[in-house]
Amino acid sequence: SPLILFPCLLTTVLSFPRRSPPPDPHPPIAMAISPRLLLPLLLAAAAASAFAGANDLVGELQSLRSRSPAGVIHLTDTSVTRFLSSPAPRPYSVLVFFDATSLHSKTDLHLPQLRREFALLSASFHANNPDSSDLFFADIEFSESQHSFSQFGVNSLPHVRLIRPEHSRLADSEQMDQSHFSRLADSMVEFVEARTGLEVGPIVRPPLVSRNQMILLGLLFLISIPFGIKRIMEGDTLLHDRKLWMAGALFVYFFSVSGGMYGIIRHTPMFITDREDPNKLVFFYQGSGMQLGAEGFAVGFLYTLVGLMIAVVTHLLVKVESLQTQRFAMLAVMAIGWWAVRKVIYLDNWKTGYGIHTFWPSSWR
Amino acid sequence: MAEPVANAAAPAPAPGRLRNAFGGVLCAFTLILIGVLAFSIRLFSVIKYESVIHEFDPYFNFRVTQFLSKNGIYEFWNWFDDRTWYPLGRVIGGTVYPGLTLTAGSIWWFVNALNIPLSVETVCVFTAPIFSAIASWATYLLTKEAKGTGAGLMAAAILAMVPSYISRSVAGSYDNEAVAIFALVFTFYLYVKTLNTGSLFYATLNALSYFYMVCSWGGYTFIINLIPMHVLLCIVTGRYSSRLYIAYAPLVILGTLLAALVPVVGFNAVLTSEHFASFLVFIILHVVAFVYYIKGLLTPRLFKMAMTLVITVGLAVCFAVVAILVALVASSPTKGWSGRSLSLLDPTYASKYIPIIASVSEHQPPTWPSYFMDINVLAFLVPAGIISCFLPLSDASSFMVLYLVTAVYFSGVMVRLMLVLAPAACILSGIALSSAFDVLTRSMKFQLSKLFDDGPAISGNGSPNGSSASTVNTSSSKNEKTEKSEAAPKEKQSKKNRRKDKEVTESVSVKPKKEKRLSVLPLEASIVSTLLLIALGGFYVVHCVWAAAEAYSAPSIVLTSRSREGLHVFDDFREAYAWLSHNTDVDDKVASWWDYGYQTTAMANRTVIVDNNTWNNTHIATVGTAMSSPEKAAWEIFDSLDVKYVLVVFGGLVGYPSDDINKFLWMVRIGGGEFPHIKEPDYLRDGQYRVDAQATPTMLNCLMYKLCYYRFVETDGKGFDRVRGYEIGKKHFKLTHFEEVFTTHHWMVRIYKLKPQKNRIRGKLKKLKSQSSKTSSTLAAGRKKNPWQ
Repeated sequence: SPLILFPCLLTTVLSFPRRSPPPDPHPPIAMAISPRLLLPLLLAAAAASAFAGANDLVGELQSLRSRSPAGVIHLTDTSVTRFLSSPAPRPYSVLVFFDATSLHSKTDLHLPQLRREFALLSASFHANNPDSSDLFFADIEFSESQHSFSQFGVNSLPHVRLIRPEHSRLADSEQMDQSHFSRLADSMVEFVEARTGLEVGPIVRPPLVSRNQMILLGLLFLISIPFGIKRIMEGDTLLHDRKLWMAGALFVYFFSVSGGMYGIIRHTPMFITDREDPNKLVFFYQGSGMQLGAEGFAVGFLYTLVGLMIAVVTHLLVKVESLQTQRFAMLAVMAIGWWAVRKVIYLDNWKTGYGIHTFWPSSWR
Repeated sequence: MAEPVANAAAPAPAPGRLRNAFGGVLCAFTLILIGVLAFSIRLFSVIKYESVIHEFDPYFNFRVTQFLSKNGIYEFWNWFDDRTWYPLGRVIGGTVYPGLTLTAGSIWWFVNALNIPLSVETVCVFTAPIFSAIASWATYLLTKEAKGTGAGLMAAAILAMVPSYISRSVAGSYDNEAVAIFALVFTFYLYVKTLNTGSLFYATLNALSYFYMVCSWGGYTFIINLIPMHVLLCIVTGRYSSRLYIAYAPLVILGTLLAALVPVVGFNAVLTSEHFASFLVFIILHVVAFVYYIKGLLTPRLFKMAMTLVITVGLAVCFAVVAILVALVASSPTKGWSGRSLSLLDPTYASKYIPIIASVSEHQPPTWPSYFMDINVLAFLVPAGIISCFLPLSDASSFMVLYLVTAVYFSGVMVRLMLVLAPAACILSGIALSSAFDVLTRSMKFQLSKLFDDGPAISGNGSPNGSSASTVNTSSSKNEKTEKSEAAPKEKQSKKNRRKDKEVTESVSVKPKKEKRLSVLPLEASIVSTLLLIALGGFYVVHCVWAAAEAYSAPSIVLTSRSREGLHVFDDFREAYAWLSHNTDVDDKVASWWDYGYQTTAMANRTVIVDNNTWNNTHIATVGTAMSSPEKAAWEIFDSLDVKYVLVVFGGLVGYPSDDINKFLWMVRIGGGEFPHIKEPDYLRDGQYRVDAQATPTMLNCLMYKLCYYRFVETDGKGFDRVRGYEIGKKHFKLTHFEEVFTTHHWMVRIYKLKPQKNRIRGKLKKLKSQSSKTSSTLAAGRKKNPWQ
């Protein structure tokens, strides 16, 4: 079923630089400190945290949270060590979103979208449990904190991990299943509630337009009503433009027959990369249960194109005076139409695997 | 093709009276042939299989029809069905759309009154084909109103065999849609007819037809939203007329009153949001009518003054009404919309919030091959039809475009609504083909006659100016004639259009040079194009016949498969239901997933817990939870519902893909929606649904797995599931709380009986307990031994 299959397509393997230094000319601070310096620092930090007790950490996290947008704390290698490598029963869980700015451009990963949803989850949790110090939300960036990525054993994105109080090693923490990304924040809530036993509460999505904008729009609408009615009475609005209606109707038709709604409901990408050969892009998906965006629009375009050409011949070309033009245009229309219909029939047979055949009387064979 | 026939059918003056009569007869004859075509293309299911009711819902309709024919209409109206939704039961009379049942019941009664002894089942099987013939005639009428006889015949012929409609109306597919599409098209026809004539007679008929539609199908809300939309469109684009008022106002008043008479609709006709649009437009229409009336009474200056007054008053009234509506809508939890309608407006709604709607395969959004499968080459023709409707735009043709656009949008959201799109696509394709043939055949006829009349003069095309000049002289007299007699038959457009065309020619004839030339296309190109279009039509016919014969005729209770040895018939469903009806007590309760509820009640006559009328989500979730629970918990749930037998459908042995294991995730989802201890991730391994060695322990221990795969390993020694394509995860296990009582020939249906509860004997209780704990511990030990876990 495509619903389940789909998230698997999202994962892309991150490549860790093994021997070669990171390509970044300005390596992050944490990397700049040599390991010799780092070790005592880490030890000191660990010792300090152990002594300072958990309460300080919680307070610190809370203050960090209050300073971060949507309450998502930005972690680096040092803060990971500080907050998450402290001795095992910590008084808090942390849900970490693993991010990589360099992969934001890869549309099939949906990283920015998932990051937004993650922020939404955090904000909703914070809004519903204002004083809770049981669960914190954090994100961590690949190019800044490669060390932590390897500590967590994260080598593919998107990736979300929950570090519960009893996890002593970072790698022990629990990974959020792909299936929990499928319905974005709503399914992430299920994961969090199932694993931490905390109540997240309803997801508070910001409305598309804010309240003030709504009022403004409403006012504008009210003011425009009398003018609109006057224009309509006089009959000179865009609404009276038939071409506009025609274009609109054709567009809705094009969008629907190309299965655009399928793309919206199922969040299918325009194309996917081939699993065997990552450099190859797959535009046409075999199997009638699912379609990719690009193939739908391509076929929808062919559907519409043929119809438009027929209309042009019947209504426009007839009025052209030059016989040569007519002849040439009709030839072109017939050739393109023939090709388009053949193409769609071929694609349909290929995609669905149906073999449409005729039924002749058996004596004819 | 119907096209050349249509040419003769158009009216012509005095000498054409005979021709006119001839055309009428030919047209009627064509229509009869179209009806025969529509009826006979749907008989593949009877020829290939047998005369039997199909699928799931038709069984319920059949059962209701049987009840109706046996007990009469009043008993039917008050029927409380205790065979289903145990222990709740269902009030049938108040919860069904009675149109189909009453129609088939009256046909049966009528036929029997004529002493033709048809069984109820035969009548039910053939109701759908009969009504598709009538629907194609209704399509003829509707298209004729918009674009003339030729387009009408074309559209009727196309509709007679459109695969989308065939899929719901093959013989045996006894469902609401079978009669509803006819009612839909006929209602639209009467609306357009009223709009064109302004006759109150047709307006009344329209309301009655709407009533029939309300009786037949929940899709009537499409009508009661589409027609107001069209009225609003007409008003906004300045096409208000008294005809529009007559077409709409009686429909709203009479239609709403009549709709409220149908028990299943009742006060919903005025209380739910789906109907509000019609009332709002009703008010707007009256305001506009009032404005026009005042305009007629007053002088322009006075009118201007009155106008401001009316606008202010009208706006005030409008705001009041809108405020009331908003308040009403906001006060109901779903904002007054039913889940299905909401998922049409917000396509992502259902998949997020209502798994029971999202779970039905016909509620999924379609992909582009679905369009090609269901309307085939019409997908290519519709855009041309849209453009034809705009040139020129009339009230009727604008309605066609609006119908198509809304229907195509809705079909994009739910594949089921492809059915509503089909008539619109047929009408517009009919219009497109008709106008294309019109132009092409006209060019051919005109140039051929020229070719024969004064051969060499025209054959060389020469300079366009010279040729047109020469044609001007030869054809100018002819041109006028053609206007009257010869071209008239070719221009088979509605009167209005023709009038408009004449206006155009008249207005343009002032500039003499331009209009002299009759608009034609080159001869040879026209011939080739005509042939190509006919080939396109031929492909459509081939596709439709193929779809009717191969794709849509399977009754889905009898399955066949072709192999090298020949035809294999799987009649397991009826075998199982017959077993149930012969071997169980009349009052025993049978639990199964809701898909099989209707069939169990109709064929086995046993009480079921849930059925295809998914009105109670909790009840379905209970069954889903039981199926996804371990054996003991499931036994407790079923026992609390007095269930004696559990029925599962299993396709693993023969490779029948739509079995319960493939539907199982929906049971988990729906169950988990009401009972949070059922969690979907517990049944998935890394987001993958599987039942092989990688499956989760929860999956391998749930009731559905056990009932499906119990003793399965005995069939081939390996437990290879032919649907999933791998060996199952847990092969050897025993059932503790259920016992197998019947498994059909191909293992497609398996029936289990709940083991009776063990007697509690005082003193032995402890022993029993220790025993049970022992068994469980051995079970656990056995689980540990399993090397795959």
